[in-house]
Amino acid sequence: MDSAVSRRSNIKIAVGAIVCEESTLKGHITIGSRTVVHPRASIIAEAGPIIIGEGNIVEEMAVIANRLPAGAPEPASTPVMIIGNFNVFETDSRCEALKVGDNNILEMKASVSREVELTNGCVVGAACSLTEPETVSENTIIFGSQCQRREMNDKPYPQVGQIDYLTRVFPNYHHLRKPNMKIVKEPAI
Amino acid sequence: MAYLFQPDYVRYVCSCGSVKPVSKIYFCRHCLKVRCGYCVCHEVDSHYCSNCMENLPSPEVRLKKNKCSNCFECPCCFQTLSTRAAPAPVRAGGNPSVEDTKSLAKPPPKKVYYLSCSFCRWTSRDAGIPDQFVATGGWPEQENPHLARIVALLEYHKILASRERQQSERKKFHPKRTYMQFEKFAMSSVMVRKRAGLCPLPQSQQSDYPQPAVASEEVEELSPDIFTQPLDITKITTLEQRLKHPDVQAEEINQLRPQHKQFLMKRSQRCRVCEHNVCKPEYSPQSIKFKIQLAAFYHIPEVRIVTCEPLRIGQTSELLLKLCNPTQHQTQIMLFPLSTSITPTTVTAAGTKEVDRENMQLGCESPNLLPSLVRQITVTEDPKPLKLSPQAEIILPESILILPPRDDAAEYDDTGDTHNFQDDPKLVVWRKGNKAVIRLLVKPNEDEQIEEGKEITVGFVMQYGYVNTIATLEHKEPQKLDLKIKLFLSIGKLVGST
Repeated sequence: MDSAVSRRSNIKIAVGAIVCEESTLKGHITIGSRTVVHPRASIIAEAGPIIIGEGNIVEEMAVIANRLPAGAPEPASTPVMIIGNFNVFETDSRCEALKVGDNNILEMKASVSREVELTNGCVVGAACSLTEPETVSENTIIFGSQCQRREMNDKPYPQVGQIDYLTRVFPNYHHLRKPNMKIVKEPAI
Repeated sequence: MAYLFQPDYVRYVCSCGSVKPVSKIYFCRHCLKVRCGYCVCHEVDSHYCSNCMENLPSPEVRLKKNKCSNCFECPCCFQTLSTRAAPAPVRAGGNPSVEDTKSLAKPPPKKVYYLSCSFCRWTSRDAGIPDQFVATGGWPEQENPHLARIVALLEYHKILASRERQQSERKKFHPKRTYMQFEKFAMSSVMVRKRAGLCPLPQSQQSDYPQPAVASEEVEELSPDIFTQPLDITKITTLEQRLKHPDVQAEEINQLRPQHKQFLMKRSQRCRVCEHNVCKPEYSPQSIKFKIQLAAFYHIPEVRIVTCEPLRIGQTSELLLKLCNPTQHQTQIMLFPLSTSITPTTVTAAGTKEVDRENMQLGCESPNLLPSLVRQITVTEDPKPLKLSPQAEIILPESILILPPRDDAAEYDDTGDTHNFQDDPKLVVWRKGNKAVIRLLVKPNEDEQIEEGKEITVGFVMQYGYVNTIATLEHKEPQKLDLKIKLFLSIGKLVGST
């Protein structure tokens, strides 16, 4: 994992994804097309591989980690972290959830722990944290200092405009990691 | 700014007896006394909406029930709602036969608007409110379910008020009546009639009296499924959300409706004794400046704690205080024990004289420009007794500390201090510009049983020279005064005893 060659072989980046060179990527990671990884974002696959779908935005200082809690016994099977499509991980958010569905938003400084499962269309508000094991039902929003919950009428819209803009702008200002994976199937939108 | 967040270590005693940090007190330049929020008159200057900055006269505000007609508040998290535009949904099945083909090819971009909260993502669509075709206004108003009752009560009280006014006017203009002789002996006309053996006058307008509210013991039965249905807390409103709108008190999230934003107000504070303003903001809601701001930190020397050695019972510890003169005049500071009287004194040729500004001011014409009928009657209260008692003895210096006036340019002057003050080297540790650090000794009281870890306060009276630049009839020249103020300092926790 130390040499650049072995690191590169562990990371699969689909054509059309924008992954900045300054981001921290460790371990076996698959990144789907149209996903944007900002500089200084971290994706750390220590305990097992991380598979990220299409059209996600991982902003700066956001951490996506597949990491065993300290002192936990080695599991029998390798835990795989799967992140769906069109999720947004905003600045300084932290996601350790093994299952993240589609159209979720983790706002600034939000934190989701390993035993939590995010379904679809959930919003974890700024500075809210989920630490207890649970499955967050669809279209739930968690907001405020008391981590109030409410069910939304509609899931948040995918940030297509933002993804397009970043895809256009990032190559002008940042070094990017080269995509090394052909798209197997057509992107579903 | 740092004042707003730090705990109050140094507190000044207001003339009303409350104890506050220097950032929260005022200094009335006319009474030469410290005032605080508890002992001034608060007057509403203007109402405004904090979102759209609209400024309205107060009768209109009363009509609008103190709420802005344009801005809305999220019923869920109480943030301001913003209007969002969305493309209008394409109406399926519409047959545009009448329209010409050109408009068919390029339909006018129609937009619909809905309200949305950027914090908790609540939208007016969540509540089932139909989208609007105009950006502002047109939102359905939520009706108060008790509107009829409230209107009836309001009407009745209006009638009562007018009747009362009529009565008082009648008394004013026709005081000479036959019953007048009895009124001398505090007897009302009703009592006179009773005495004369007549039945009381029939109440003519009794019929418009609204039905009185009846307290009922019967409570609506809970539906039986409350015990069987699983509770979904995400669909139920919180207590805060209900109490924010007491007229409706919606129980379910989807019954919440956007609420009009409450107006904020600008207020001015007026000294109750001399009726001069101590604080008056500028009228415009956009402005955050003040026309008059007699805050104490512009007039009274500021005291800050630099360090204090660990406090032990029976041992003297060193306490370093930084004093700062905020005024444009040189001041001399002396410290006295707490028991000293705090009446201001002035030094004249004849000797020290006590100044009593309050009595002097009462004879003057009030500066309050409102007609005497309208304006509030000022109520002055006696100062409350002070309950704080110091837990440590403080050894005070006998020498005078002189602080030069504030000079903003001196901060950028690196040439060093040119002042030649004959400082007591035991007292003054450091000096720069209008600031000086002094050294005092404190000793926690031995006789009192103070537990370890308890906060120790000390107190003293600070006398400072103040130059009164307000010209009055008697004093055309700036007048030099020695004012005194009580201070309490929290200097730290007791570490232990020797």
